[in-house]
Amino acid sequence: MIRLALKMLFGDNAKYLMLVAGLFFATFLIVQQASVFCGLMRWTTSTLKNVAAPIYVVEERVEQVNETNPMRDTDVARVRSVAAVRWAMPLFSGLQRVRLADGSFKTIQLLGIDSASLAGAPGRMIEGNLEDLRLPNTVVIDELATTRLSSDPSDPSKKVKIGDQFEINDVEARVVGICEALRSFTGGPYIWTTYERALLYTPGARKMLTAVIAAPVEGMTANQAADEIEKATGLRAFVNEGFGSNPRDRMTAKGEHYGDFNTSTIWWYVKNTGIPISFGTTVVIGFIVGVAISCQTFYAFVLDNLKHLGALKAMGMSNFRLSIMLVFQAFTVGLIGFGLGLLATSGFALGAINNGQPPFYMQWQIPIGAFVAIQVICMLAALMGIIRLSLYEPAMVFRA
Amino acid sequence: MSIFSLILRYGSIAAAIFGVVAIIFVHQTQAEKQMPAPGNPPIMPPQKPFVESVAATGILESLSENVAIGVPIPGLVAEVPVKVNDKVKKNQVLLKLDDRDLRAEELSVQAQQEISKAQIKVSEAQLAKLRSQLERLTSVTDSRAVSRDELENRKQDVAVAEAQVAAAKAQLAAAEASLKRISLLIERLTVYAPQDGTILQVTAHAGEYAATSPKSPAMILGDIDRLQVRADIDEQNAIRIRADQKAYGYLKGDPSVTFPLEFIRLEPYVIPKISLTGSSTERVDTRVLQVIYSLERPSDPPLYVGQQVDVYIEAPDRHKSP
Repeated sequence: MIRLALKMLFGDNAKYLMLVAGLFFATFLIVQQASVFCGLMRWTTSTLKNVAAPIYVVEERVEQVNETNPMRDTDVARVRSVAAVRWAMPLFSGLQRVRLADGSFKTIQLLGIDSASLAGAPGRMIEGNLEDLRLPNTVVIDELATTRLSSDPSDPSKKVKIGDQFEINDVEARVVGICEALRSFTGGPYIWTTYERALLYTPGARKMLTAVIAAPVEGMTANQAADEIEKATGLRAFVNEGFGSNPRDRMTAKGEHYGDFNTSTIWWYVKNTGIPISFGTTVVIGFIVGVAISCQTFYAFVLDNLKHLGALKAMGMSNFRLSIMLVFQAFTVGLIGFGLGLLATSGFALGAINNGQPPFYMQWQIPIGAFVAIQVICMLAALMGIIRLSLYEPAMVFRA
Repeated sequence: MSIFSLILRYGSIAAAIFGVVAIIFVHQTQAEKQMPAPGNPPIMPPQKPFVESVAATGILESLSENVAIGVPIPGLVAEVPVKVNDKVKKNQVLLKLDDRDLRAEELSVQAQQEISKAQIKVSEAQLAKLRSQLERLTSVTDSRAVSRDELENRKQDVAVAEAQVAAAKAQLAAAEASLKRISLLIERLTVYAPQDGTILQVTAHAGEYAATSPKSPAMILGDIDRLQVRADIDEQNAIRIRADQKAYGYLKGDPSVTFPLEFIRLEPYVIPKISLTGSSTERVDTRVLQVIYSLERPSDPPLYVGQQVDVYIEAPDRHKSP
């Protein structure tokens, strides 16, 4: 029976191709668009990934990491004074402009970290020594900056190297290290320097401290410590564990109050920008187009083979067994279309990951969800075929 | 069955299987590109010495604070007999200002003194002369030989001459006082050490102009055998501070250097915080309570006056009332 079903399916090349193509496009649209959306949302939290600290303490009303309200310098000491805190260090983060030798400007994301402990330093250095950051007028740049800040980005020999210089707000900056970093949402490279120097590079303001990064004492979770910090200082403490639900999430009169900075940041973008609508629409359209094409083609396929199916029915095959055949056919087509869609997505993904652009981050849930969606489409198509088949009288075969 | 449909059939199945494998590969590649999970900083900050504590930033000073040595009047520096790092005793000469104008004045007063001395001699001679004339008149026994008027005149002359001697003497005294005054003023141009200590900084050099501005002292003197830490405590934490709480200091940049601190006093006046961060403009953020602790100067590593330290002060549990 299975062999028969497969034979029927592969019998007509054109129909088979149509069926697979519809599902292929649906899979590609759903997986690729959802991954690009996730990648873009991940970019909004890249500061949290690049400055990997368990706890972020920010001003009371801050909701997302790219838009913070500065605090006073002594707030570091206040957070340090909380018993649950193992260490607490200042962090500066802000957009600045770099002037290159040829006079052009580039936007960068400037990070200022504590010079003594280097808390918040890049996780992986490619070249150079992190501790050289304590030398005067020095910065550590990320890989993106090596091309972005070079005089000719298309020429690899002109990449920014260790020892090269540029200007941040007319103050000299000398490169002492190159590191790996996640790209920022604004597209600019990340540049690390010490907290004191970041203040020199930045036009003065009354308050300059973006955030205090901290860690819990041993034997305490980040969530517990964050609660203690909020209680003791009145500042807002977020944990940095990644997007997802957190035990500290709670509803307030002003809306959801998230315990994790990643979650809070991403929800801020979801609520305040058109990004999810745009991507969501594409994903939904991918689904609808998949449903439309597949159902239509599968229905046409069933109609075409109605004679054979009717003959089988006339030979005494039960409706149930025939339905199983149709479901199996739909499932197989779905599987192949899904696989081909993943193949195309992988091609896109490898290009995007190697290039760093466009954003691409595939959560493991995305292909699973896409698989379920594709199978739902296929089962819908199979259902239509089954309905048509069950209405078909075996006698009709002999009437023609 | 045609070749084409065979290729289509098996090719599509193979491509689909390859697609699933490829997406797993993509997932692994992106996992490798993930940033490391949150962790500890490259150089671990010091372990907190107390469970409940108040953290503060402080600055090392010499005990009894750093004395900014000033000059009495603005003027040219003539001589600086001490160097940085010199140990000085109380009343040792630290700095001499140019005193030539006063010395010039002294010369003219000295001349004045000589004149006054000569003047005394002149008036004394005059007095002696008049006295002898009077004596001659009074020695005449016959009262008719000398007119009464003449005798009176002579007596008056002697009195005037006596007064003139006194005036000349007073003038000499005035000149002498003037000399003393000038030598005191000259003396004042030499700056002496007000206490024992070490010269920490010298900004005035011979030939330079020293101003009286308190912001730019000519030199800084301090006792660096024992140091003190001036810790700035945020006003919101100030309520948790009491006298005689235990405290530890950590040198900024080297968490391995710990030194116990001994409480000296609380500064009763809460001042606006002066930023220690090295920013180009001083930013007054908040007010801070200053607590002074003393510490024994360890032989190794060397500590320097002016270094920043992180201070942890044992404090009562904030959940219980202290």
